[in-house]
Amino acid sequence: MVMHARRDQMERLLAYLISLAAILLTLFPIVWLLSVSLKTQRDAFAMPPKLIFEPIADHFLGLLERPGFVEAFLNSVYVTALGVLIAIVIAVFASYGIHRFRFRGKKLFGIWLLLAYMLPEFLFIIPMYVLYQRIGWYDSHIGLALVYQVHALPFAVWLIRSFFKEVPAELDDAARIDGSGHLKTLRYVYIPLAAPGISATAILTAIWIWNELTIALSLTFGDAQTITVAVASFRGYTSINWGQMAAASIVAIVPMLVFSIFAQKYIVKGLTLGSLKG
Amino acid sequence: MPSARSNRAAYFLIAPAILILAATSLYPAIFSFALSFFNWNWGLQFDFVGARNYLDLFRSAEFWQVLYQTFVFAVVATILELVLGIGLAVVVDRLRFGASIIRTLLLTPLMVSGIIVALMSKIVLDPMLGIVNYVLISLGFPPSPFFGTTATAMGTVIMVDAWWQTAFVFIIVLAGLQSLPQEPIEAARVDGAGSLQTLFRVKLPMLRPVLFTILIFRTIDTLKVFDIIFGTTGGGPQIATEVMQTLAYRKAFSFLQMSEAMTVMVIFSVIVLAISLVYMRLEERMERD
Repeated sequence: MVMHARRDQMERLLAYLISLAAILLTLFPIVWLLSVSLKTQRDAFAMPPKLIFEPIADHFLGLLERPGFVEAFLNSVYVTALGVLIAIVIAVFASYGIHRFRFRGKKLFGIWLLLAYMLPEFLFIIPMYVLYQRIGWYDSHIGLALVYQVHALPFAVWLIRSFFKEVPAELDDAARIDGSGHLKTLRYVYIPLAAPGISATAILTAIWIWNELTIALSLTFGDAQTITVAVASFRGYTSINWGQMAAASIVAIVPMLVFSIFAQKYIVKGLTLGSLKG
Repeated sequence: MPSARSNRAAYFLIAPAILILAATSLYPAIFSFALSFFNWNWGLQFDFVGARNYLDLFRSAEFWQVLYQTFVFAVVATILELVLGIGLAVVVDRLRFGASIIRTLLLTPLMVSGIIVALMSKIVLDPMLGIVNYVLISLGFPPSPFFGTTATAMGTVIMVDAWWQTAFVFIIVLAGLQSLPQEPIEAARVDGAGSLQTLFRVKLPMLRPVLFTILIFRTIDTLKVFDIIFGTTGGGPQIATEVMQTLAYRKAFSFLQMSEAMTVMVIFSVIVLAISLVYMRLEERMERD
């Protein structure tokens, strides 16, 4: 018995050590990025690396003057809000339809959703690029938010549907007996009961859209350019402007990090329910 | 139970989703497929060429190399992320105090955009000025050129992807471990099984469906990799880290070879969708067992 307890303790100690190492490996690059964003070019390139340095705000202030950077940040806020709104509203109806009814083509619809979610981006980006050039939606917020639906909508339907499955069937029946129509049942039974799940879905969709590069890179140029595209524009520089590149990255990371601290419970719920219950 | 009337209601409910998906996924898929039989490059020329685009691709060594590299990236990154993620989840599951703060900290990479992960890794992995090589040299190890040579670039982008996405595997497996029923685990304990035995004989087998779902997601996601490679090597040096999506991007937006880019994507989509369907079938079968 004593032997067993001691082995348990040793194992736990080892678990803490491994966790600590994993946290160091996880956070180190982000902390390093932050330090580079606050260093002068000279301090950033110093060997051995300067652990104690005088922080400067120049790189962040420089971003304000960089053409299009502030606009890109605001574009991302706008496109994220628009994309999440479209995905959630449409997915709530669709999820209710799939959850509550049997109908011809239901299985086909499910497979279509899944395949759309799996599609490689450039299969649909290039045709949408050609189409948008023709109808004038290239480099527009709504155009981008719509193309995001190829992945956002199946994801949202899948998650919200699994949250609807948790709503007790008796409540649904009770509403029906009281004479509620479908829209009323959805409005007064499903949406309130699944609200935490719907929030989780909205949060995960927002994080995905905010961080997305591939689609935004190909379908926007100036007017609707998002923050990730603006950050990516630092990529090609031969004269390595590390400071400003790091500052821009930090500006793009911070909203989602803050968001994730407040919404952590929802994020974990959304990520796990989706895959644990399918 | 569902009447004809309620069926109609269902179609109304899913109609908006169908409309949007038709415009953004069905239309483009048909368009790409159609265009892969022409030789359109943004200009006036628009001739039907039959299967020539396909035959040209199948005859090019570059295409096969890129396809091969896409699979190398996907298979190695997926295995690495699954092993690391499961290992980390098992470890954190053992903790008593501070487990929730540790979980939060380990989740941070998932909040970071792929392009930022890419740029960040370029800073820390810079061969001359990067902190990682400085640490390696200080500890007596040889420095690495990381993204700089054809021999090391692929391994480096895989490592970067693992830093980014291991957290996804970790968080789901951890939640899975914590939701397992306790009786079989206790029973194994009573029978004298050690922690490792319990893990491999009891816990992981019970998590099989979850692990399978993660495997599907990571495989498809890594096959479609773009931003990590675009932001670090851009497919180079030479074409050592070029994958299907960066190849299509280069063909369409740098060389304006629209039909060729679509042909690449049609072939690749068929591969990705075929793998998804096979996985789905296997999952259904597993659920029935």
